[in-house]
Amino acid sequence: MSQPTPPLDLGEPPQVAGVSLSGKAPYVISAEENRALCESTGVSPAADGSAHPIYFYIATQVGMGMTVAGLCAACDFNVEDGPMMASSKVTFRKPLHTGQAYRVTGRIVSLVRKPSRKLGVMDMLEYLLELTLPDGTPVLSTTNVWVLPRRKPA
Amino acid sequence: MSAGDVLKPFRIAHVSPEGMKAWAKFLHDPNPIHLDPAVVKAKGLGERVINQGPANLAYLINMLQAAIPGGFIESLEVRYVDNVFGGEAVEAGGTIREVVTSGAGERRLACDIWLRAEARPVLTGTATVAILN
Repeated sequence: MSQPTPPLDLGEPPQVAGVSLSGKAPYVISAEENRALCESTGVSPAADGSAHPIYFYIATQVGMGMTVAGLCAACDFNVEDGPMMASSKVTFRKPLHTGQAYRVTGRIVSLVRKPSRKLGVMDMLEYLLELTLPDGTPVLSTTNVWVLPRRKPA
Repeated sequence: MSAGDVLKPFRIAHVSPEGMKAWAKFLHDPNPIHLDPAVVKAKGLGERVINQGPANLAYLINMLQAAIPGGFIESLEVRYVDNVFGGEAVEAGGTIREVVTSGAGERRLACDIWLRAEARPVLTGTATVAILN
């Protein structure tokens, strides 16, 4: 009779839910950078001053209160170990514009440890970032999920 | 535009490693897997530099904007399922799953969207694009 496999000891991830990711300084999309970004993706910038919508990701990541390495460190994870993007979700209320100052607020939603056939043990990091105009008018809300590989299977 | 319509694809013939250097600056993220093939190889991730995930998503957005002129992307949700490597060809596409018309004559297109690299799935997801009168 075979013995039941003992449950894998996953350990506990750091308790980081609620950690603030709000930025300290406004983020401004420069027209020059928007042009370079559009051209790098094979399109021309819009003539009406609107910015490429992918700035939802860039503005919130660059404008939040931590660097990518800092966000990983808050989760007790070395950025050199290779965080991987799992999913992104965004809801726009308004288009983005070059030359406009935006404020970033946000927080870590959760850090959940899971077993993985491929990665051994991984943490799923979910964080929420919101972009507003300086007067607080909502512009967009985005949620990203990253995979933080913890250890390879034995 | 109607449910079942195929969105016109958007293609990049060769994803440029030079573009990845530019994106490292846009994102303020100097992760060497986007810059140095030796690092990619040392990590066992392949032989060529890896394109940034948000750059891949930008191709998908380009497809939506070109296929639905005048549309406003209200929402996007994507899963990152694989990497795009330097030099690879990518194609973004999708289909309209549903069209909802409001009383004000506004239409919202619910779309299933994808990005492939050399026919390999890279991004899959959904988008809602509003066409406002």
